[in-house]
Amino acid sequence: MGCRPGQERVVSLTSDTLLHRQISPAWTQRGHVTSQAFKPTSKDERRLSVYDGDQVSAEESWKHFTEELGLTSAGVLAVSVEECESLGLDAEQDPEPFLSHAVILFGGLSNSQVETKAKILKRNAVARGWLYKEDPADADQEE
Amino acid sequence: MDSVLFIEPRLVGARFEDHTIPLEFLKDFAVLEEMIVEVAKAEYMKEHPERQRSPRGFAEGVQLKLAAVEEGSAKPVIVLAIAAATLFPLHNEQTYFERARDSVIGAIHAAEHGTSVTQHLPERVLGYFDRMGRSLRQDEAMEFSVPGSESPARLTKETRKKLVLASSKLNELTEETEVRGTIPEADQQNMTFQLQTPSGRRIPAPIAPEHMEAILEAFNGYCDRALVHIQGIGRFSRTERLLRFDTLEQVTMLDPLDVTARAEELRQLKPGWLDGGGATPPPEGLDWVVQLFAETYPEDLPLPYIYPTASGDVQAEWSVGDVEISLLLELETHAGRWHRVRIAEGTEDGRELNLDAESDRRWVADQVRSEWSL
Repeated sequence: MGCRPGQERVVSLTSDTLLHRQISPAWTQRGHVTSQAFKPTSKDERRLSVYDGDQVSAEESWKHFTEELGLTSAGVLAVSVEECESLGLDAEQDPEPFLSHAVILFGGLSNSQVETKAKILKRNAVARGWLYKEDPADADQEE
Repeated sequence: MDSVLFIEPRLVGARFEDHTIPLEFLKDFAVLEEMIVEVAKAEYMKEHPERQRSPRGFAEGVQLKLAAVEEGSAKPVIVLAIAAATLFPLHNEQTYFERARDSVIGAIHAAEHGTSVTQHLPERVLGYFDRMGRSLRQDEAMEFSVPGSESPARLTKETRKKLVLASSKLNELTEETEVRGTIPEADQQNMTFQLQTPSGRRIPAPIAPEHMEAILEAFNGYCDRALVHIQGIGRFSRTERLLRFDTLEQVTMLDPLDVTARAEELRQLKPGWLDGGGATPPPEGLDWVVQLFAETYPEDLPLPYIYPTASGDVQAEWSVGDVEISLLLELETHAGRWHRVRIAEGTEDGRELNLDAESDRRWVADQVRSEWSL
């Protein structure tokens, strides 16, 4: 770690790589998280944006997202590349917006399949726990 | 004691259709009496400008009494009862009180039609309307016959507000109100607490002994976001901003997933709430969600977590064991999209629903119940 999100060296994702997902505050309720957080929205073209956890820590990704991109995030959850692959989802680096940017690809799936995979990804991420939380008190409420 | 028919307001609204009057309305009639006495004194003074004040004992032995409740929709019959041994002969007192009644009705009529209220009542008397009519809800009215007019004077929430704020000296209005929120602060020495609303605003309120236990429970549960429902008399600014509670009537602990409270949180969303995108759920759509769960979702079932969607709809979610359920609620069409995954089995099922149909709402409840009973 130690590199800022726009300055990292680019190396390939491995099966152990954690993919950091920023969670919108509105997509949390009493420490719980909606499965929508792991489902691309219509404007995402079936590509779910994440940070490459081999390049930036969860906290660094949160700071980049909120301070440099000016967006809001309640905290960071993560799934591994291996977990994605077990669901038949590819993940790849996508350094166009910034170097540590990566995507999980949902192309070629029906809406129902996307829903299912999003729910399982959310389960995996929640089981791993918050890797970074803006308000640590919220994390304590996870049931 | 002599009694004469004095006033027969007609109470209009669903609560009065069975020709009864909720007890809370008696407070409003008590205020009407206070106001009539005060205006009667003013009427007396108009006729006796040489006097500094109304005679001692004026209005002693004079009372307004509820004599009956007649049909249509509910019509309290209020009589003026005057003891035989009052200071003035009967006809004099009756005249001042009847003029006072006509002035009050005239002021209500004026407020309704946008003409000058103070032509009928002195400004200092308008404060009585802060308490009279406070029990009225939206779509309810207290109608008074206007001599020489076919249309009655209607005291409603709106006309009441106009009457109070017609006074240049009154900048606040009290209303019966209810708020859901958390209690981050309680002061047992001064017997006050702060209620924090979903928007983050803090509203001061008094602690009455009978509510102490519930308030402390909510205060102690603040870190767990313990939710509380407060009903009472709130004090509002001219711009309808709730400034504080004057008194509390009910304090109730809520389910942590209370749908109404969650809907209030979602009403605070601003356009662009999701990474610069994200439409806000329409208020009437959120009203429908609240109604859906309040009226048709069985109380013994666990409430769902509720989240906004990027398109401005709402998604309800339940997690139990290895089952993940989502129910997308389309706020404009009232369509629902059910999706369930059994993670261990690797199976899924989905269903399109019409949530205006009772059978589909019952189907959702049955499905949730079946998961919880496994």
